[in-house]
Amino acid sequence: MGNKQTIFTDEQLDNYQDCSFFNRNDILKLHARYYELAPNIVPMDYRKNPIVTVPMSVIIQMPEFKENPFKERIVASFSEDGEGNLTFNDFVDMFSVLCESAPRELKASYAFKIYDFNNDNFICKSDLELTLARLTKSELEEEEVVLVCDKVIEEADLDGDGKLSYADFEDMIAKSPDFLSSAYTMFPELLPLMESIRKDELLSGRGGASSGN
Amino acid sequence: MITTNPSATMKSSKLSRRYASIKRNASQLYPYREPLQFSNLDDSDNDDEKGNSNDPEQIFQNIQFQKDLMATIRCRPWPMKQKLKALRRAKEIVLKFEGRLTRTRGYQAAGVDLWRKFVRLAYNFVVIFIPWEMRIKKIESHFGSGVASYFIFLRWLFGINIVLTIMTGAFIVIPELIAGQPFGSTISKTIPKDQVASAQDLDTVWSLGGYLQYSVLFYGYYGKERKIGKAGYRLPLAYFLVGMAVFVYSFIILLKKMAKNSRMSLASASNENYTFCWRVFCAWDYLIGNPEAAESKAAAIVNSIREAILEEQEKKKSKNLAVTICLRIIANILVLLSLAGSIYLIYFVVDRSQKLERTKEELTLWEKNEVSVVVSLITMIAPSAFELVAALEMYHPRTTLRFQLARVLVLYLGNLYSLIIALLDKVNSMSIAETEAKNNASIWEYSPHFLPTRALSEEEKWSPTISGIQVKQNNTIQHYLIPITVTNKTTSYNYNVQNQQDQCWETYVGQEMLKLSIIDMIFTVASILLIDFFRGLFVRYLSDCWCWDLESKFPEYGEFKIAENVLHLVYNQGMIWMGAFFSPCLPAFNVLKLIGLMYLRSWAVLTCNVPHQQVFRASRSNNFYLAMLLFMLFLCMLPTIFAIARYKPSLNCGPFSGQEKIYDIVSETIKNDFPLWFNSVIGYVSSPVVILPALLLLFMLIYYLQSIARSLKFTNSQLRMQIQSDRSEDKKKVAQMIVARTQTQEGSKKSQENDFINQQASIHSMTPRKHGHVVNFDSPGSRIPTISQAIPQAKILRPVEITSSVTSISKARSEHHRYPYFTHDSDLSKTKSYTPVTFKKHLEDIHSDPLFHKGIPQENPDVLGAGAPGFLRGQIHVPRYYIVNERESRRKPRSISRSPRHFHRNNLADFGEMYSRNKRGYLLSKPHHAYPPHLSDEEEEEVRRNIFSRSFRPRSFSDLHQMPHFYIGEQTERQILAAEDLARMHYQSWNDGFEADHYRPVYLYKKPQSRNFDPEPRYPEHFMKPNNKQKMEPSFTESDSVSASSSDQQNSSTDQYIQIIHNKDKYLKSTGKLSRKKSKSRLEMSIVDPNELVCSNV
Repeated sequence: MGNKQTIFTDEQLDNYQDCSFFNRNDILKLHARYYELAPNIVPMDYRKNPIVTVPMSVIIQMPEFKENPFKERIVASFSEDGEGNLTFNDFVDMFSVLCESAPRELKASYAFKIYDFNNDNFICKSDLELTLARLTKSELEEEEVVLVCDKVIEEADLDGDGKLSYADFEDMIAKSPDFLSSAYTMFPELLPLMESIRKDELLSGRGGASSGN
Repeated sequence: MITTNPSATMKSSKLSRRYASIKRNASQLYPYREPLQFSNLDDSDNDDEKGNSNDPEQIFQNIQFQKDLMATIRCRPWPMKQKLKALRRAKEIVLKFEGRLTRTRGYQAAGVDLWRKFVRLAYNFVVIFIPWEMRIKKIESHFGSGVASYFIFLRWLFGINIVLTIMTGAFIVIPELIAGQPFGSTISKTIPKDQVASAQDLDTVWSLGGYLQYSVLFYGYYGKERKIGKAGYRLPLAYFLVGMAVFVYSFIILLKKMAKNSRMSLASASNENYTFCWRVFCAWDYLIGNPEAAESKAAAIVNSIREAILEEQEKKKSKNLAVTICLRIIANILVLLSLAGSIYLIYFVVDRSQKLERTKEELTLWEKNEVSVVVSLITMIAPSAFELVAALEMYHPRTTLRFQLARVLVLYLGNLYSLIIALLDKVNSMSIAETEAKNNASIWEYSPHFLPTRALSEEEKWSPTISGIQVKQNNTIQHYLIPITVTNKTTSYNYNVQNQQDQCWETYVGQEMLKLSIIDMIFTVASILLIDFFRGLFVRYLSDCWCWDLESKFPEYGEFKIAENVLHLVYNQGMIWMGAFFSPCLPAFNVLKLIGLMYLRSWAVLTCNVPHQQVFRASRSNNFYLAMLLFMLFLCMLPTIFAIARYKPSLNCGPFSGQEKIYDIVSETIKNDFPLWFNSVIGYVSSPVVILPALLLLFMLIYYLQSIARSLKFTNSQLRMQIQSDRSEDKKKVAQMIVARTQTQEGSKKSQENDFINQQASIHSMTPRKHGHVVNFDSPGSRIPTISQAIPQAKILRPVEITSSVTSISKARSEHHRYPYFTHDSDLSKTKSYTPVTFKKHLEDIHSDPLFHKGIPQENPDVLGAGAPGFLRGQIHVPRYYIVNERESRRKPRSISRSPRHFHRNNLADFGEMYSRNKRGYLLSKPHHAYPPHLSDEEEEEVRRNIFSRSFRPRSFSDLHQMPHFYIGEQTERQILAAEDLARMHYQSWNDGFEADHYRPVYLYKKPQSRNFDPEPRYPEHFMKPNNKQKMEPSFTESDSVSASSSDQQNSSTDQYIQIIHNKDKYLKSTGKLSRKKSKSRLEMSIVDPNELVCSNV
């Protein structure tokens, strides 16, 4: 289907499709996006699984993340090293989890990671404060923040330990009417950029070089 | 574990998506155990033990498990690398073992595989054809999902209209074009002579007269021959059936969609327990990509949080409530008044214009346009007025939107129905005229005086009709159209001349509807250009040289008004439904219109609109829109059905001319073209004898279903109540148990402590060097008791567990037992990176640690990615249990006053961790838990497990490092060997408990489970091997020669170890295998102790 591409082997594409919620084209587009982020690092030939990471500072410049208050957290929680450097695998993984067809539970598990700022596997008050600060751009008063944090813990903390474990979090978030609709859903605007890359390739002749590989 | 739940796993990706909720159980359970599975399989790859088992059932199950894994792997919270690896392995295994199965199974599998590939290809192909996907996503990413919901709704309507177009096109229009009589052959297909001259005038074309009127566009063109063409296509019958099918299809598709949506939003039953949580955790719309939208979203979140705080604070005070209620009442009165006022105004103006038309010969421009101007003003102002009023009510924005929608809908409907009434009035008069014409045909010829009066009376009836139409037209958009009056003039003028042809009221209705739709489109375009585009341009380019800030004050940029726009779509679709019967090409026209609208709107939104001030999230699948659409469909169907049932079809045009009623075509066909028996059957079926009971049955069914729904609702709320009370009880119980537990424990521990002093002393003598090394809390003195004390602890715990709810605890244990394999290494690496200073202190730990963990990086590479999400880690520190526990007890005497609270917190934390697992386990085995006592058991288990696990303390790293000492003791300190054995027993009991107890209730799962676990005892062996190679040797020499090997050596070995972890990506496979081989050879050389350990573990 479609024109022959030389970025991935068919097997790789198949595997990616099995492991994510994307179709073949999406994965190619994702690669294009990934490539776009750091053209000098990312190779156009992924058939030999090169190990390449793109740092967080580059990724959070993507339009999908730019306005997101939790962009650093999102990228960090998907990166294998925990510091926000994403390999292409992580990159696919991230968008797969954030895409609309990913199941609730999967999203919830990553959402928990996102809000767990200090990585202690609990959302404690300090995490909540950070969350609120990011969410509201620090516009809430001090006592408001304290009140909201207390309230959140009071509502969702089923075991009374003063912080939210994943079970608490999942329980709470699964009941949210908004959760599936658009929270934690994000679309890579793949198409336009893909087209621009094709044009670049044509102009610079890089496409020919990569297909020669 | 995976094979345990085959029903929950899906074969096809589509299904798997749909049943995500079912899969949840499975996929949530997997992460804990699967890695082990893989390690097993990996092992089997090497020694090929597994493959040698000739039990086809087993192989089949294995393959099945791998396939399930392949189908659901995308739903697991592992990193991609791990997923890819697991997938590759699963595929390999499937490939490898599939051949060993019987041939049929092989074929089956191949077929399934082929089908999967085909489905994927088809899916990849189909995705391309989802229209406007990218466009909508782009909008969504800029403006959030509220705006996007409009476009999704539009696209959905587009889909419906496509189907309607195909229906009418394929069954009515095309047959008529191909096989029907050509244009000009009959009187109903010919333009009257006196109109030919003006047939191509702009006016005529504009009012859909002339050639357009006598074309397939309208009802009147279709021939009345029962069968057309050589094949004998029954066009009239098809016409009628398709006309009905349009409604039926629309109803079905709408209801289906609504049902689907409500199923999706089932979980969101109004549960107000989480007001704040949702506002914090679910507030951000991740789709927002536009800075302005982000800004306003942040502001909206602040507002909503403040609102919630206020609500919280003012829950008790009710004085504001009264004010709000008053305000809301006032607001509703205002709305009602304005609605009534607008309707009155319309009628007043219409009445006035009629009078003017009758009395005046020449009308001024204002007088001609008066009605439409007034109406358009009303339709323009009223929604804004409603918005103002809505601000008074102070509802949540979402509620406000709904109120606004409802009110505008009522306004539109008022106008729509004025049109309908006017049209029906006209139809009525036409049919009367027709009969009169028939009766008085002779009189007409002889009494010329009658004609003017007739014409006049007709005129009288017409003018309201036409003004009604004007009302309607203006309504739709907010401007005026002149040509209608022209139609009015022409028709009435030519009344008696073309009596016969003009009597086609169906064509007339169709014309009006099509006209309406066209005008609506034009004004939509105009309003988009004027209100959005030019305003945007104006604001953008003149703001610099204006005396006030145009962008933030008066004109601003246009907002995208979701409510009005959605309503416009609904309204538009209503017109289509209303007119489709009389103008078969209307759906086709609507398709074009919607395409245009899609592009224009999306362009306008992206170029000249700003996001709504209060960005709120509307569900992508909004049932409210659909409910309005359904309402509209019903209301639009009514007049059409009424006209079909009530009025006589026109005499000289259309497929039903000459019949008494339109629906007679069906009975006629049945009578003439079906066999006699069928006829009689129909006769019986349509007789009251059958229909009345059928109706009765329907009512009974409805009542029955409704009562079922009611009872389900009741059960639902009951269950919710139960859950809530259970939760609070749980909390209490947990607290109580913990307090009780702490007290007893303290007592027992004190007594135990004495027993270890001896051992402690001996150990001290054995490890003098360590003594010197360690400076702070980690003094060997406190460490070694760790080891020894752990055992009695286990002893103590065990009886308790055995007596009560063995199942769950042993399960918990077995789970714990397994976690360490894949998470400890990450802990270890953390140790390295986080505590370089204290490294020396922990050297021993680390160096012996690998005893337990070293195997993982090599044996179990899948797991290395630590795909298990962070929260897993918390549950993994089990082996530490002993140590921590001991420390706890050690510390306790010193700070008794503090400890209960401390304990409490820890316990609860652990409980939280366990809770999830527990819950999942429960979910999984739910089908088997028909017996009621389980729930209470479950609770108890929770509590107990909580107690059991209360001593994990995942927070401090020192805990992590301590743990291994236990194992050191195992190898080196012979004195505490006995203790060790106890520990092993304990260990063993975990396994036993797991296999024997946990799976008993889940008998169905037992088989695969036991298979999966049966290699499990081999773990220690595998872990041992590499260990021996790198770590054990030094440690062994150390312990043997008492002098203890140099810390440098250890250091380097640890470094090496960590190195390996770091490089795991690259060397994973190769090093794993290499080291395994090496370690095997080393194992023989190595001491007996590890072997002992292995044996005891197995």
